Amino acid sequence: MKINFTVNGKPANLEIDPEMPLLWAIRDELKLTGTKFGCGKALCGACSVHVDGDLVRSCSYPVNLVEGKNITTIEGLSPDETHLHPIQEAWLELQVPQCGYCQPGFMMAAAKLLQENPNPTEDDIKANISNICRCGTHPRIIKAIMKASELQKIAKN
Amino acid sequence: MATENKTEKNKFSRRKFLQRGAIVMGGTVVASYLGCSPLRRFAAQKVEGMDLPATISSFKPDFWFQVLADNSILMKSPKVEMGQGIFTGYAMMAAEELEVPLEQIKVEHASTGSGIIDVNGATGGSNSTLALFTPIREVAATMREMLKIAAAKKWGVKVETVSVKNGLLTSGTHSNTYAEISAETKDWEIPKTPILKDKSTFKYIGKTVKRVDLKAKVMATTKYTIDTELPEMLHAVTLESPYFEGKIKTIDLSKAEKSNDVVKVVRKDELVAVVAKTHYAALKAIEKIEVTWDVPKKWQQADMEAIVTVGKTKATNIQKEGKAASIIEDNQAEVFKQEYRTSIATHAPMEVFGSIAYVEKDKTTIIIGTQSPESIQKQVAKTLNINSDKVDVQVAFLGGGFGRKGSGRNASNAAILSQIVGKPVKLLPTREQEFQNSVYRPNSHHVLQAKIDKNGKIEAIIHDQATPDMILKMIAGDMAIKVMGADWVSAGHGASILYNVPNKTVNIWNTEVPYHASIWRGVGMFANTFAIESFMDELAVKTKKDPIAMRIELLKNGDELEKRMALALTTIQEKSSWNSVKPANIGRGIAICSDRKTVAVAVVEVEIVEGKIQVKSVVQALDVGFAVNPEGIRSQIEGATMMGISGALFEEVLVKDGQMAVTNYHEYPMATLADTPDIQSIILENSEEMYGVGEPPIAPIAPAIANAIFNLTGKRLRQLPLQKALDNYKELKV
Repeated sequence: MKINFTVNGKPANLEIDPEMPLLWAIRDELKLTGTKFGCGKALCGACSVHVDGDLVRSCSYPVNLVEGKNITTIEGLSPDETHLHPIQEAWLELQVPQCGYCQPGFMMAAAKLLQENPNPTEDDIKANISNICRCGTHPRIIKAIMKASELQKIAKN
Repeated sequence: MATENKTEKNKFSRRKFLQRGAIVMGGTVVASYLGCSPLRRFAAQKVEGMDLPATISSFKPDFWFQVLADNSILMKSPKVEMGQGIFTGYAMMAAEELEVPLEQIKVEHASTGSGIIDVNGATGGSNSTLALFTPIREVAATMREMLKIAAAKKWGVKVETVSVKNGLLTSGTHSNTYAEISAETKDWEIPKTPILKDKSTFKYIGKTVKRVDLKAKVMATTKYTIDTELPEMLHAVTLESPYFEGKIKTIDLSKAEKSNDVVKVVRKDELVAVVAKTHYAALKAIEKIEVTWDVPKKWQQADMEAIVTVGKTKATNIQKEGKAASIIEDNQAEVFKQEYRTSIATHAPMEVFGSIAYVEKDKTTIIIGTQSPESIQKQVAKTLNINSDKVDVQVAFLGGGFGRKGSGRNASNAAILSQIVGKPVKLLPTREQEFQNSVYRPNSHHVLQAKIDKNGKIEAIIHDQATPDMILKMIAGDMAIKVMGADWVSAGHGASILYNVPNKTVNIWNTEVPYHASIWRGVGMFANTFAIESFMDELAVKTKKDPIAMRIELLKNGDELEKRMALALTTIQEKSSWNSVKPANIGRGIAICSDRKTVAVAVVEVEIVEGKIQVKSVVQALDVGFAVNPEGIRSQIEGATMMGISGALFEEVLVKDGQMAVTNYHEYPMATLADTPDIQSIILENSEEMYGVGEPPIAPIAPAIANAIFNLTGKRLRQLPLQKALDNYKELKV
């Protein structure tokens, strides 16, 4: 089946099994490997991307649902390396990653949270992001989101 | 300065590590470094006491440095980066002696087949920093001096006039970069190993720096195994028995063979796999295989607990001072006795443990994020019946390790499949396989007994513990257990009683379980510290003493290690909330351990809200002796604290009907953002020596939480995981 959509602003036209999860279409067909496979059951969030602005766990999201839609992956979160998204800026400042594997998913979830709630409290962060990290970067993730919220405000003013 | 250096060298030599490093300049190997004579660390450490072997396989760290054309320095690390930050630590050491900015050091994984790097060491045991602290700096310093000598020759000046700064060599009006001198020099003079920089002049070591792998991980460009591709690569998924020792009874591959994009369905002995054009096609096809299993025995959870029980097998004594056994035996009526159990748990790293194999006529390439490249190399060579030197294991970044990524059949299976289809094959386990066909932290059982005299003094303690063999059989075969009685290196890790009690005895009861017991972050410390430190808390309650004061009293007159423990307790008492008034809804607990001479002590505060345990704050002090990478240490304390909370409160793999009854994260709850307390990390440096970081801070967390729950509720939870123990808690009727 032919499926047409946009990824990070670029058109993607794939002849593809419509049931293939978006994750594998992004990784194996479009070769964007920043989005990770974690659990395959939408439990861990390592595969989080934005579909028309909505946060989606792409391992359990059939590719046929993205026909005509705009996908943003971690590769497209910042316009370029000199204009980083506040989330990535804060992630660098607080040195969040350890093994790094779950971080793209966390950053995508955090970017969505900031968009909906520009001033999240620690409790808002805890209540809204259920991604899994095994290295234990949680304390820094929370601090980095608070920091990104500040950076976002500074950028807007 | 000279004296300090000499002392360091002596220590180093006493530890008897084999080191070999090389310096590559202008594309040629121009110097190699042979440190101390090759001897066995295992034996050396046995003499030193109850230390663990540093690695699962032999310990031979090889590494090399190369000056690149852009004047950056490439360092090939013999230890793998699994998030613990070792690349950063090594870059700091190298930058220090090479006199280049930290950003100028590029760190990559060594591979087993890179010519001069013929052997690669396993990464584990919290020893990567201390093992290479001297060798890396010595090779870097030698390289710097070689560059100075070459520059002096070129310019016709005395070497003493050549100075180095930021990768630039200068003498008077002469000036060249390392890269320029490196490219022009043909004959290199190799000086004696230079005297290393004094600690007081360190620019990077001991200072807060940015991780060298930070930017790539934030921009998501880091390559893990799953992100790596070879030309014409195919994708495979294997069929794995969900049952312990399950064998195929009936199987129908026909539907899988007809599935879209399938290249081949392989059945070779017990290996059944689908090789397809995409991972998704392989997944789809594997689900179409119809299979029934012969299950030799339907093991249940009760069986695991019955097997792992003190008294069922033979005791191996690992500590004996005084006459604890007879004192306890003769005074049974006055003996205080408690039992503790820990659960089976698994590593659940976010990246599944997959690999890529490409078997060609004359060489085999394996790409894998493993903690033990050498054992993977041997295993693949054995599987293919070829020499190990024909197998090049290239290490990818690890998406978490925690002890999981040492062994397993994945790379060997990928190699068999690649051989059959004649193309590179990426073999990824499913998350379900990662849970059901993994290696596990074994369950354990502990019986602690103490005799307290009429003045409230602990006269005797006995710790009996049963834990299945974790590594001994794997590294040393069946004979090892027969000779040594039990896996004291891992099961016995942390089992000894360090407190100054006149009579103490510790025994390990070796057990055999039907699942694959292995090492989980902290090895034996996690279970043993839970039992011992919970029991110490019970003794403090029984003798009406403050838990910190009691511990300090039992440690302060001991040896250097015990004094460091007492000092860490004093520090945490001052820096945590311990001495402040406790709100009614809060419980406080403390626990301490010494893991291979690193001291870890934690004070936690808990609250119970609607029956759910919530850890509100953790203050953890870690005495590492000497801190190389403080920010890395803080990350490790935070990470180990979170994994400790997760293991303490939630983690349990249950055995049901002959299989692991956990298939994915929904059945294996772990700590998330919602479970994250306020964590304060304190680094202590109360020794001239250097000790490990990655594992020690996990061990005090579970007992500190259990002790805090008792402090809050009066309920003593003696079984992990604690949330389940609390849910099942029954008030004892008196």
